Amino acid sequence: MSTLLAATAARVANGDGFVSPGPNDFDLPGIFSAGSWFTKPILIVIVMTIVVGVFYVLASREAKVVPGRLQFAGESLYGFIRNDVALDAIGHEGLRFAPYLATLFSFIAVNNLAGIIPFIQFPATSHIAFPLVLAIISWLIFLYLGIKKNGFVKYFKDMMFPPGIPIPVYFLLAPIEFFSTVIVRPVTLMLRLTFNMFAGHLVLLLFVLGGDYLLRDYGGVVGIASGSVSLVGSLVLTGFEGFVQLLQAYVFTLLTALYIGGALADEH
Amino acid sequence: MAPGYIPDRERERAEDRKAHNDAWAASGLLMSGVIVWGGVGYLVSQWLDNQLFVMLGLLLGTVTALYGIWFRYGRS
Repeated sequence: MSTLLAATAARVANGDGFVSPGPNDFDLPGIFSAGSWFTKPILIVIVMTIVVGVFYVLASREAKVVPGRLQFAGESLYGFIRNDVALDAIGHEGLRFAPYLATLFSFIAVNNLAGIIPFIQFPATSHIAFPLVLAIISWLIFLYLGIKKNGFVKYFKDMMFPPGIPIPVYFLLAPIEFFSTVIVRPVTLMLRLTFNMFAGHLVLLLFVLGGDYLLRDYGGVVGIASGSVSLVGSLVLTGFEGFVQLLQAYVFTLLTALYIGGALADEH
Repeated sequence: MAPGYIPDRERERAEDRKAHNDAWAASGLLMSGVIVWGGVGYLVSQWLDNQLFVMLGLLLGTVTALYGIWFRYGRS
């Protein structure tokens, strides 16, 4: 953020006026050398992975009947995913997916929340590579389970040809059914997470950088009034972003669970 | 049976699950209809150099997807 403020100040000094933040602000330079692959999002993901791992290990180590604070936090989180996502969305078979879903939720949640944690302030999941890999994993899981349960031919036949539809309509409907399950599902998982984080970060950048510009460089009554509103608004929006970040982690996890549940359902 | 899992609620859970699943599936189907047949319409329009086919494809996709949604989830 401070580098961005400095960049804004430099542009103002050049007489360029305010330049709004854009996709370029997501291209962060390498940490040790410019152009290196080791960038801030990579560092965030590595640190957050360790944080999640350490949290669950500490929370589950030496578990007591009367839980300590950390154990209580870990059990609440895991219990929420297990009961309200895994068992609700998948059914009694959901229990064996609870560990994966809880890990998935925690991992996405902390990498989203990195966007509003002070001094980190960058959501690693706004880089499409991370949601892409997570979506591919979810995709492979539900396809594998569906094919394993029904067999390859029956799985796709049930997906594309629900019984009872007039035969000419199959010609129109079957490609849509196939597309919606095999292509739209993983793509929407990926895009929904990425661009919620991308847009949220961009809005925060705009409010903070714009507020700074109005307050310090535009000046006058108008600049000070609107700049103050913008900066106060950025605080409100930070809280809202926290909500969106947790919500998107939940939605990703819930949809993965629903897809698994669909693959395992008996109604086919 | 897992602790914390109440068998009595199984039916209720199953209905919740179905309703939840259907909402996401319906929107996915609608999106796919527009993309698949709209895409075919676009290719045909490039081939025959006639923009009309894009619109026909989009309409066809929307109508088919709506029919599919009605068939799968609309009849109770």
